[in-house]
Amino acid sequence: MIDIVGTFFVILGIPFFLSGTIGLLRLPDIYTRLHALTKADNVGLGFIILGLAIQATSWFEVAKLFLIWFLVLLASATSCHLVADAALRHNIKPWTKERA
Amino acid sequence: MIVSAFDLVLCLTLVWLAWHVLVSPDLFRAVVLFISFGLLMALAWVRLLAPDVALAEAAIGSGLTGALFLSALRRLTPGRRGERRVDRKEGGDDEGL
Amino acid sequence: MTTLYVGLALVLLFSVIVGLLRIMWGPTAADRMMAAQLFGTCGVAILLLLSKGLGQLIVEDVALVFALLSALATVAFVRRTWTKEGPRQTKRLDHD
Repeated sequence: MIDIVGTFFVILGIPFFLSGTIGLLRLPDIYTRLHALTKADNVGLGFIILGLAIQATSWFEVAKLFLIWFLVLLASATSCHLVADAALRHNIKPWTKERA
Repeated sequence: MIVSAFDLVLCLTLVWLAWHVLVSPDLFRAVVLFISFGLLMALAWVRLLAPDVALAEAAIGSGLTGALFLSALRRLTPGRRGERRVDRKEGGDDEGL
Repeated sequence: MTTLYVGLALVLLFSVIVGLLRIMWGPTAADRMMAAQLFGTCGVAILLLLSKGLGQLIVEDVALVFALLSALATVAFVRRTWTKEGPRQTKRLDHD
């Protein structure tokens, strides 16, 4: 039972990674691609780690998995802000439907 | 079976990436491809049952060397403002950032 | 069990390979760098799935180092390479 629920959450995380990659390829400019990227980072990895933590054998492993997730959250939030800020300083205009 | 498929895909991607790192005319693209190469190489070390080498590859190969390459890339464009050069008298320039 | 988890890792590996196209095309430097950042996260997920599927718990430590150092390259890129006078000046639009 525990295994089934854990596997369900792991599989649930995969589509978010796929949509992150598809968004990276298909979306029109930097800011929208950043948006797709953070979905994969936060939600996709979150579901995978949740599914693995449910099946973990020790509390130490659970703590390690959630530490990994916390670090990735911190890293992706920081770097996305930095990239978006640098793009604005380079005068890259956000994409709008009219200018496309 | 599926493990062999994973290994095969990983090997082919590594060879393709290594080739493109070498032949890329754009240096920045080569650096980013090198970072990706380091990440996938760490995966390959894990599959070779060497997680300690994978740790070193992740930390040094892709993390540290990637950052150093990115920093060095900025120095490669000649004659910019605020740059310390050996063939020029140095004085009052804003070093670094 | 092994088949399922390694299969899922293979799916993520394919997603990384497709993401390589953005590095090859990428109009601006930031697009390439963002693709590399996505690879870092995908790498963490692949390592965790391999660790579960093959029963090697030590691999989780490698994933931890991946997570710890994934921001380093991006921060170096923004602070060092893609500054205003950086080597790859993007096309300048009119001021806001």
